[in-house]
Amino acid sequence: MKKYCVSILAFGIIGLAACQKGLLDPVPSTDIPDFKAFETKERIASQANGLYSVMKHGKFLGGKFAIANEVRGEDFVNEKANNVTLNATWRMVPTGETQEVKEVWSQGYATINNVNVFLSGMNAVGNKVVGDSIAKIYAAEAKFVRGVSYFSLLQLYARPHWDGAGAKPGLILHWEAHTKIGNYARARSTVNDTYAQIIRDLDSAETILPKPAAGSLSAVTHANAYSAIAYKTRVYLYLEQYDKVIAEAAKLVSAGAPFVSPGGHALEPDVQKVFTAPYITKESIFSLPFTGSTDDFPQTQTQLGYYFTPSAAPYTGNGEYSMHPNGVIADASWKVDTDARRKFILKSGTKNYWIKFPTPSPFTDYIPVIRYAEVLLNLAEARVRQTNSVDITAVALLSAVRHRSDATITYTPADFPTVAALLSAIAQEKHIELLGEGFRSMEITRLGLSFPSKSSTVPVIAPTASQYIWPVSSDELIYNKLCVDN
Amino acid sequence: MRKILLVLAGMLLVAHSLLAQTTHTVKGKVTDDNSNGLPGVSVSVPGGKSGTVTDGKGEFSFSVPDNTKSLKVSFIGYESKTVVIQGNDAGTIVLLADSKAISEVVVVGYGTQRKKDVTGSIVSVKGGAIAELPVQSFEAGLGGRAAGVQITVPNGIVNNPPVFRIRGSNSISMSAYPLIVIDGVPAFSGDVGATISNSPLNPLASINPADIASIDIAKDAAATAIYGSRAANGVVFVTTKKGKAGRPRVAYDGWVGTTKPTRLPEVLNSAQFLEIKNEALKNAGSTDRYVLNEDANGKPIDTKWMDVVYRDQTVSQNHNVNVSGGTESTSYYFSAGYTKQQGILKRNDFARKSLLFSIDQQLGKAFSIGSRMSYSNEQSLISGSSGSLEGEAFNSGGLARLAFLTSPLVSPYNNDGSYNLSGSGMSGGKNTLPVAIYNPQVLLDKDHSNTEASHIQGNVYLQLKPTDWITLKTQYGVDYILMNNDIYLNNLSGDGVSSNGDVMSIYTQNKRWVWSNTLQLDRSFGKHNLSLLGGFEQQRDSRERYGLRRQKQMDNYFNNSEGGWLTDLSRYLLRRENYLLSAFSRLNYNYNEKYFISANVRQDQYSAFGPNYKKGLFYGFSAGWEITKESFWTNAGLDHVFSSFKIRASHGKVGNFAGLGDYDALSLYKPSPYGGNPSIYFNQAGNPDLNWETSKKTDIGFTYGLLNNRISGEFSYYYNDINGLILFVPQMPSAGIPITNINATIATIPTNVGSMYNKGVEFSVNAVAVDKANFSWNVGFNIAYNKNQITSLAGDITTIPFVTSSLEQTSVNKVGHPASMLYVVRTDGVDPATGRRIFINANGDRVFFNNADAVKYKYEDGKTAPTVGVKDAVAYKNTNPKFLGGLENTFRYKAFELNVLLTYQTGFYVYYGSNAGLRDQRYWNNSTDVLNRWQKASDQTDMPRVVYGDNISNGSSFAIAANVFKGDFVKLNTVGLSYTVPEKAAKAIRLQGARVYVRGQNLALITKYPGPDPEVSSNGNNASGQGVDRNTIGNGRTLTVGLNVNF
Repeated sequence: MKKYCVSILAFGIIGLAACQKGLLDPVPSTDIPDFKAFETKERIASQANGLYSVMKHGKFLGGKFAIANEVRGEDFVNEKANNVTLNATWRMVPTGETQEVKEVWSQGYATINNVNVFLSGMNAVGNKVVGDSIAKIYAAEAKFVRGVSYFSLLQLYARPHWDGAGAKPGLILHWEAHTKIGNYARARSTVNDTYAQIIRDLDSAETILPKPAAGSLSAVTHANAYSAIAYKTRVYLYLEQYDKVIAEAAKLVSAGAPFVSPGGHALEPDVQKVFTAPYITKESIFSLPFTGSTDDFPQTQTQLGYYFTPSAAPYTGNGEYSMHPNGVIADASWKVDTDARRKFILKSGTKNYWIKFPTPSPFTDYIPVIRYAEVLLNLAEARVRQTNSVDITAVALLSAVRHRSDATITYTPADFPTVAALLSAIAQEKHIELLGEGFRSMEITRLGLSFPSKSSTVPVIAPTASQYIWPVSSDELIYNKLCVDN
Repeated sequence: MRKILLVLAGMLLVAHSLLAQTTHTVKGKVTDDNSNGLPGVSVSVPGGKSGTVTDGKGEFSFSVPDNTKSLKVSFIGYESKTVVIQGNDAGTIVLLADSKAISEVVVVGYGTQRKKDVTGSIVSVKGGAIAELPVQSFEAGLGGRAAGVQITVPNGIVNNPPVFRIRGSNSISMSAYPLIVIDGVPAFSGDVGATISNSPLNPLASINPADIASIDIAKDAAATAIYGSRAANGVVFVTTKKGKAGRPRVAYDGWVGTTKPTRLPEVLNSAQFLEIKNEALKNAGSTDRYVLNEDANGKPIDTKWMDVVYRDQTVSQNHNVNVSGGTESTSYYFSAGYTKQQGILKRNDFARKSLLFSIDQQLGKAFSIGSRMSYSNEQSLISGSSGSLEGEAFNSGGLARLAFLTSPLVSPYNNDGSYNLSGSGMSGGKNTLPVAIYNPQVLLDKDHSNTEASHIQGNVYLQLKPTDWITLKTQYGVDYILMNNDIYLNNLSGDGVSSNGDVMSIYTQNKRWVWSNTLQLDRSFGKHNLSLLGGFEQQRDSRERYGLRRQKQMDNYFNNSEGGWLTDLSRYLLRRENYLLSAFSRLNYNYNEKYFISANVRQDQYSAFGPNYKKGLFYGFSAGWEITKESFWTNAGLDHVFSSFKIRASHGKVGNFAGLGDYDALSLYKPSPYGGNPSIYFNQAGNPDLNWETSKKTDIGFTYGLLNNRISGEFSYYYNDINGLILFVPQMPSAGIPITNINATIATIPTNVGSMYNKGVEFSVNAVAVDKANFSWNVGFNIAYNKNQITSLAGDITTIPFVTSSLEQTSVNKVGHPASMLYVVRTDGVDPATGRRIFINANGDRVFFNNADAVKYKYEDGKTAPTVGVKDAVAYKNTNPKFLGGLENTFRYKAFELNVLLTYQTGFYVYYGSNAGLRDQRYWNNSTDVLNRWQKASDQTDMPRVVYGDNISNGSSFAIAANVFKGDFVKLNTVGLSYTVPEKAAKAIRLQGARVYVRGQNLALITKYPGPDPEVSSNGNNASGQGVDRNTIGNGRTLTVGLNVNF
């Protein structure tokens, strides 16, 4: 036994010495841990971009938000009867469990919380790293993202403002960062309270953010004062505060034609250019950018192009939706031969498809969140409603949008015998101009219209019907007992 | 004082004999049981110094002290023997191979223990029981062979891991799969292939079942505690074969076989399709009509899509050769195996080439070294999604579903022989209404989604045994899986159309090393037998994965990522690691082999736990009492009946963390580009308090042997109290916690909150019913009862629904119920008056549904009812079998042996989700059940009036109770008939032995379940979604013919 003493000792030493306690506290090399996320200026700049990355997810503004708004409307026919591609939403029978109802809700709130986490991290650490002047700008961008997110969710999940003058249940509002397990149950605020928060965020963004010249990549893909103002023209229109629309638009729209902004925003002469690479036009106010890099394009079955373009070359969509023959394309005043926007329609077989977002897989077309044409039409409508007259500027604004795409048409006040006729023309123009960009459903609800019948099994949905808006995500109702359904 | 005197006297006697020693020579011969002389056998005088080894003929001769009364004969691979000698000739001493010894010894973790000393609950299955089964991995063959062990083969896709449970499901969100330890090295388990591809890869399939010597399944805390924080689901010790001393033995085993699909649903032919769908269209008020298409000969097309997708006669084969042998100081075992098995789904194959080499070498008196190395190459081949694996149930290209939903009105080919294509799907010919999702023929012809792995497992050890009772051992083991996924989605039909072809190559490496250092002390002091083990162990896992994804093929010629493509993307990037640092100890003590106690302790420190909870202590204690050794027992004459009767009890605490992500405790920001610019965002909310799940296990039972062990068996009662279950606690979406897992529908944070228990009883009996020279009959029967109940979830959250394949809510974990209850909307049949489906909503009201009505949901009185949906679901039925077990009969008649294994599970329900599709009234084809639909008032049927577009009445939109069925079954699991060629005949052809056999697997099924097989799981091993049969490929029936020869 003695002669093995050395060996025994060696065994003992090996057994004890080999352990590597440091390996018990690993950090990933592929994701950045929270305690290192605010360490450098560059990393915080990446986080500022990340605010938008979450928003442009295909389950939110990068896809399903727009798709849902389109297919709820009357312009499309569901071709695949597939619940994954919004068949229930098209049929106006989604429940709280329906995939898109849950996804848009949760991705919208993920965007909002990401903003809150960023703001809280900046206050704690980040402001010191980047310095006050940059910190303020990042914070304002974050608030723009939060405001846009709240506004977008509000349109699908809450009754429109006209119903009860904003007293109906709106969204659940959060300002605190949620980074760990906790009880975050909170009741829904009213529609008015939600709008108040949106306005606060956008006002704050407008005050702090710079006013870059229109038409650069950073001016289009990051929030700035102009994008906050432009977005406010939309928000006030939905809030039915037309004087405010006019006031905001005054900061962006010259008094007379040609309509331009102080930053150089203007209608792009060829509307198709807005939707063609490189997508950076003077008309683009805020757009979500996509590239063919991994993770920089929308996920499977969330891409606008996948839903609306056909599979026939050169398109690589799935033709999930064709154009409804009785939809807005049936409008004879939208001239087939002369209106450039008709070029967004492609006849394939017996069906028409909408090819505003034509780029094939991986579907990298930028998605405009707000563009100058909308601002002009927002202003036009607000002026008519505010003055309750066939406002000459309103007619000029309307005409600018129509004439840009159809040179054969120039409107004059004489074309509109009544205020109603002018309002209807502006609404129709908006319908045509923004088709495919995710406006139809929220325009219908804002205006208090009924959703038209789309087939024998999809009847008219009156503004009083419960299906007029989406139900709240069933997950929210299960886990947040303070939340009430629509 | 008297004792001391006696001891002194004894010592004097010894001293005297040593001093006065005279010697003489003893000779003899040592042989095996076939009378072959064994060379190199050590022969010695017990307690003395003299000894020798046998020569080439097995003979020996050496001098011994005159007073020598016995000789000790020992040889590696044989049972040692002490023989009494008289005179100078010891005669012929026969040594028996230690095959018997193996059955007497169980593996207990860092060592072995004699079976009769065991006080924990361990059940052993011999390798021979599963060696010749047509399975891909050994555990698939364990069903019904051990009490309390549930094996459910989830579908007919080859090489997917079975659902494996020991004493019920002991976790909800983590893995409930037992820890598998192969020759001392914890192995990877679960499915490592289908994370990415559609072909599963079970890492345990790298072990050739023919190389397994024994499988020991540890069930209670006493038996498992030595594996501490990983032991809660039980531990399975796999021991591979080793060489035996003696001349080299060469054996070959091989079989060929065929598998047939069974119990496939019968679907409508084209005439029936027209009848049903046109009636449905009419009922929906539509003017459209489906019409027949004609083939090239003008005959109506009537495609049997089942025949397109399923393979009726598969061919499988398996070959295995091994060589083993050894000398007194060396033993080796070498084996090479090849298997290729075809699944019942076309293009689904499994192929494995395996090599195993093990060697043990004695170095001098005290040292020994050894190694076991195995290499295997496994290929899991499949065209694409079968719809059967976890997460696949609703894949558009899922072939099981395409086989039944695609319309018989269309053919895979146009009349000119080209593929029938339209968009990503198929043209309806004369029909403008849809007929198909994709063209299954194209998917089968063009696509592939393969997994190939090189799997290296092995260990080396150095052992030092300076004296009889001290053993020091250091062992370093590795388990490396180097895996490649090769995936192609064609550009003609299917998911690849929109990207004009889509191809991926993904490389994954899972690397593990385990270094264990142990000290074992075994000593007897009179009747006190003591064994003490202490050790340290480290385990390090690192995982890396990267992938290339390319799209837009330049030419249809290309179908791999190395070909010509326009778009380059990266995919499935991952790099992770974890580390487990442990110290452990075990003490076994028995007094006179009558009273036994044992204690196990292990401390684990694990890197993935939160910073506050890295360290945990686990333990198990047990005691046993062999009553037959008591004099009162023998005095009462009970020993004539009971040859053994041991009562045992154990209690302990073990843990579980399998399935926990390496960085789940951390809060993380994910990089993701924003329009070509860098961006990161908050993507994971971690939990710094995360730690292991705790299982407190109590076990009381007895083992018995009757009539000289002719009847033997075991009885156990157990109670397993599980606390701190790691639940992925769902967060209310408005909180905005990010959804980290891209397949999840709701954000979750892993938290130790839930609790649950399993309790049950197990009983087994093995009996030699008949034991005559020419005929014997052995019966083995086991039954286990288990009750599982969740006692708490996450605080206020008492219900956590489970969604199958991110789409259909099918199951729920609910306090007061067993885990994984079916969560469906209740139904009350079909209204005989109107043919409408009757749902029962959450309030218990009957709601009548008519898809053709403007107001679809109405109460019986005609008033409008709220829409029925998932919110009306109730925790409906239990999916955990209450009783399960097996009955095995082995009959031997002369050279014939017949083995019949029946397995059964009862007391559970299965959601036959495929039935929702089979009755769906969209354009989908239906099962022939639909012919029995309601047509006129007073029709009594379970199939509602057909209305085109209706995907609600039959359960496609939300899961309904009408598709829930009892799963109880008895299965004729295996029947094997073998014939051993008589020795003389074998010798005549220069063989040591030969055996031929015929085996049938899954031959018959008695069940009321209407689907293909109640042994099914659309959610794989996921403990929260069991009992779901959603668009899966069922299990086939297999017949094999085999041959086993020894050279």
